[in-house]
This record gives sequence, C-alpha cells and structure tokens, in this order.
Amino acid sequence: MARSSYEYPGYEREGPTYWSQTVGLYLVLTLGALWMTAPFWWTITSAFSANPTATEVSFIPAEFTFNNFIELYNRDNIPLVRWFINTIIFAGSVTVFNLTFDSLAGYALARMDFWGRDKLFLAFISTMMIPGMITLIPVYLILVELGWTNTYQGLILPLAANPFGIFLLRQHFKSLPAALGDAAKIDGCNELQTFYHVYLPLAKPALAALGIFTFMGAWGNFEWPVIVMRETEMFTLPVALFAVRNQYFAQTGLMMAAALIIVAPVIIAFLSAQKYFIRGMSLSGMKG
Amino acid sequence: MAYDSQSDDTEAAVNIDELRDGSDGTVARLKRRVGITEDQSNLMGFLFVAPNIAVFSIFLLGPVLYAFYLAFMEYSILTHESAYVGLENFYAVMQPYPWENGFEALRDPTTNTWWFSLRNTFVYAIGTVPLQILGGLAVALMLDKRVRAKKAYRAAYFMPVMLSGAAAAVIWRWLLADTGIINEFLRPLGLAHNWAGDPSTALGAIMLMAVWGGIGFNMILFLAGLQNIPQELYDAARIDGSNRWQRFRHVTWANLGNTNFFVIVMAIIGAFQVFGIALVFEEGGPFYATTTAVLLIYQRAFEENYFGEGAAMAMFLFVIIFAFSYWQYRYRKSEEVDY
Repeated sequence: MARSSYEYPGYEREGPTYWSQTVGLYLVLTLGALWMTAPFWWTITSAFSANPTATEVSFIPAEFTFNNFIELYNRDNIPLVRWFINTIIFAGSVTVFNLTFDSLAGYALARMDFWGRDKLFLAFISTMMIPGMITLIPVYLILVELGWTNTYQGLILPLAANPFGIFLLRQHFKSLPAALGDAAKIDGCNELQTFYHVYLPLAKPALAALGIFTFMGAWGNFEWPVIVMRETEMFTLPVALFAVRNQYFAQTGLMMAAALIIVAPVIIAFLSAQKYFIRGMSLSGMKG
Repeated sequence: MAYDSQSDDTEAAVNIDELRDGSDGTVARLKRRVGITEDQSNLMGFLFVAPNIAVFSIFLLGPVLYAFYLAFMEYSILTHESAYVGLENFYAVMQPYPWENGFEALRDPTTNTWWFSLRNTFVYAIGTVPLQILGGLAVALMLDKRVRAKKAYRAAYFMPVMLSGAAAAVIWRWLLADTGIINEFLRPLGLAHNWAGDPSTALGAIMLMAVWGGIGFNMILFLAGLQNIPQELYDAARIDGSNRWQRFRHVTWANLGNTNFFVIVMAIIGAFQVFGIALVFEEGGPFYATTTAVLLIYQRAFEENYFGEGAAMAMFLFVIIFAFSYWQYRYRKSEEVDY
C-alpha cells in the first residue's frame, strides 16, 4: 500500500547515516506523539484523583476514586443525565439526517442523469467555502422568528445537510460500477429501488465513516449549541462544560471528570473504529 | 478484514469506471429503450437532491443574503423589528479608524475593540496556519515511510482532532494554569509563568492548543495525498539524478497541489473564524488578549443583542476571508501541474 522512499535499488539500508536518521525519525515521532496524548492522560488521571494537584497527577493518580463523577451526578444544579440525553439526541439526529440527505444527493449527483446536475454539484461544493460565522446571526434570528430557540429542531435542522458529506458519498458512488445499476433497471427496479437495494449496501464503508465523523463532530460541537441553547435544561455537554467551568473552575477533579465525559466516547469510538475515521477522510481523495 | 478487501475492489473500480466515462452513455441508451422520458428523470433527480437544496437554501444561502441586509439594519430582539440605518453599523464598529490615532488600536484594546480583535485574529492565523500545515506535512512524510507501529502513531496524532474544542480548552486552560502541570515541569528550569493569565502570553497559549489540535487533521489529508502520487515519478526523478530535496520539491510538493489548496484554504477559513476555544479558555480575556473577531461578534450580537453591528462585523470579516480564498485559488491555478 504505502510506498517507502527507501524502496529503490542501490539505497543503503545500513551505515551510520541510515541509523542516525532512523533514530532521529523515531525520536521526533515519539516526542510529537507524547505531546498529542499527554493531555488526555492527565485528564484521565486527574478525573480519578481525590483532590488533584499538579504534582500528584503528573503521571498516575495518587488515590484512585470515582468521587468526582459521583459528585457531578449528585449536584442539584447539574442535570448531567439530561445533558447527556440532549447531546445524544442532537448528535444522533444530525447524523441520521446527514446520512439520509447526503446519500440521496450523492447518489443522484454520481449516478443519475438530470438537468443541471454538474452545475448543482459545483454549487454544493462551493458552499464549503462559505465561512459559517456569516450565517450565525441570521440563522439565529430566523430561529427567533420561528420560536425555535432552545428547541431540538432549532438545533438540529440547520445542520441537517453537509456539502462535505455529499462530496464524499458522490465520489464513493461514482467509484462503484455503473453496470450494477443498469442490471437492476433491466430487472425492473426504479431509481429509488436501485439506490436503496443495490448501491446503498455497497456504500456501507463510506456511510460508516461519514456517520462516525458526523456524530463525533456534533457530539463535540460547541459554537452552535452555545448560541441556540440558552436554558440550562437544554444544554448539550460541551455547553454544559462551559457553564460548569465558570462555576467550579477551582475544583480540578470535577472539571476534569466533566471533560472526560465528553472525551471518553471519542477515545473509545476512535480506538475501536480508527480505520473508518481515516478512511472517511481519505475517501474524499481531494480530487475535486 | 472484509472491509479492507472490499475497499480494494472499489479502488480498482474507479479506474475502469473512469475509462468508460461514467454512467452517462449507458444509462441514457438504456432509458431510451425502456421509455423513461427526460422529464421523468429530471423530476426524479430533483427529488433526490430536494432535501439538500431545502436545507442549504433556508439555512445557508438565504441567511447569507439576510446577513448582508442586517448589516445595514438595526434589529430589536424585543419587537422583532428592524430599521434601516445605512452605514451606521459599520461606523459604530470601525471608528475611530486606526490610522487616525497612529494605530493605537492595535496595541490598546480600549481604543477600538474591533481592530484589536482583528489584530488578534491575524496573529492567531499567521501563527497557527503554517505550523498546523507544516507540522501535518512533516508527520505525514515521516509516517509515509516504512515506520514500525505506524497505526499507533497515526492514532496518537489524530486523537486531538476529534476532541471537542470546549473540552480541549478546559483541559489546556488547566494544564497551563499558574499551578498547572506544565508549570510543574518548567519550575525547576525557572520558566514557570502564568501563561493563561498574562495578556502577553494568553493568545500564544491558545495558539499552542490550536496547533496541537490541527496537526492530526492535516496529517490525514496529506497522507491521502501522498498515496496518490505514483511511485514511477520518484523512480524517474532518481534516474535523472535528482537529490532528495529536488524530489520533494518537484515530485512530492508539486503533486500535492490539490491537497495543498484544500488544506490551506480550510486552515485559513478555520483560523479566521475561531471563537469557541477562545470563549471557553478565558472568555476573550485577560484584558481582551484572546478576543478574536468572531468572539467579538458573538459577544456583541448574542450577549449584548447588537445584531446589526454583529452582522456588519461578520460582513467585514467575510470579505477578508473571501479575499484569502480567492487569492489561494488564483495562486493554485498558476501552480497546477498535470501528468
């Protein structure tokens, strides 16, 4: 798969230059990897420490305890379960909407024949270049007019489609043989049946990648929920973390336990489905 | 495993399919035979893309136009009414102009917060974008070689990418606190410092965090780009007697053209819009040191309800971002190579 720049005839894979370069390569890679992972490690250790101070949690928790999580759960002004449910509803719905809408559009743009198709694809792709901040205020005011602030639909619907997802799925559908669809049509399938029974099952890897990616993105999204959700009951976890931060900043153990509740699903999902994450991004191929 | 073998098949299918020039010819002929009219397939195609068109029109294109309209309006959240005020919002945001007072606004946030926040945004973008991109490229080049435990390294570098910005900001704010872990390591060296609490280092602290979170994202994009460069190009370059730098410059770099464009534009657009991490990290403080442009828009519009001024600032920033994207686009056109 991956080529190595060492793989050519006449390259010396021994000698002092080769070895010093190899050692240097691993040294740089390892130091970088430590920089990337150490904050996660420290988050975990201090979330499980009784009263963490910097010296204690540097490497391992001094005294292992679940008290931080129990305290978070028991505080009256912290509806932790509600926040968790809000976040799952938000991330889950956004993912379902995106997979449905983006696969329909991706299929149509890749495999169907209709007026203005390629121009429409270009238009969809161009919307990726629109900076999201320009729409924050107008979309919020639209939600105000509709009475949709502090509601799930107001939070979810503006994120129901994503040009990146359309692009990714369109590329994937284009990579599948056209003969499959031709055969299905000769057997009497209409366009929707061809899509649903023939192409959609073949797109599972791409759908899984996009699904995990979308879910994780929404799970951690802070900028949009902090604008739409102003009532404590309607917070998602990242917004709640911001609110908790202002109140309990000095209580490191609580803070890190709260952060870990957001971080943990990401770590677990990523480590168990790494190939889908990587594939999701590589699939798009950046071929335009 | 099943997944891997399947994906190899689809990759092979790409080429065959492209040789046949996609589905167009086949399907058109087929449709004529089974009697599907052009109108029917137009309608069908439209129905497939309709949900997306609806979402994009209502929540993206419509709002962009509405944003331009709002910039010239004064909107009241109580009465839901807006009144035309001409360029008043822009004046309120931009005056006093920085050139009228010797660019004092770039040093003192109390002179004019908007220009100061723009300064912060530019410092942030100039500091983070090159480091994120070069860091991502460097890691990708290292991992593209024959490296042991490649997957573990890749996972380590990618982990910060999926982390919520809010969680990252809380974690880093604590790591960089006066009594935080990082100072614990720096104290023996005499370098302990209140990184997040000092106006002169707070923005740097956020930038450090942004580089931390951005390298892995670019690494994945560059790794994908590197996979698409045919090995023959390297072989040919070697036969022609090129050295390592020439191969990098004229084969690797030249062939990453599309990836570079995408990565740079995305990084710049992202950097100019940063506000979540700055809000959680220190709420724009200490003393406006981390107030980025979009954070100021957020505070002005959503905390103080000056939506017209917020829209005017957003439009100002939009023009800057658009200019950068367009410049990159033109630059790419002149650099592009084809094989």
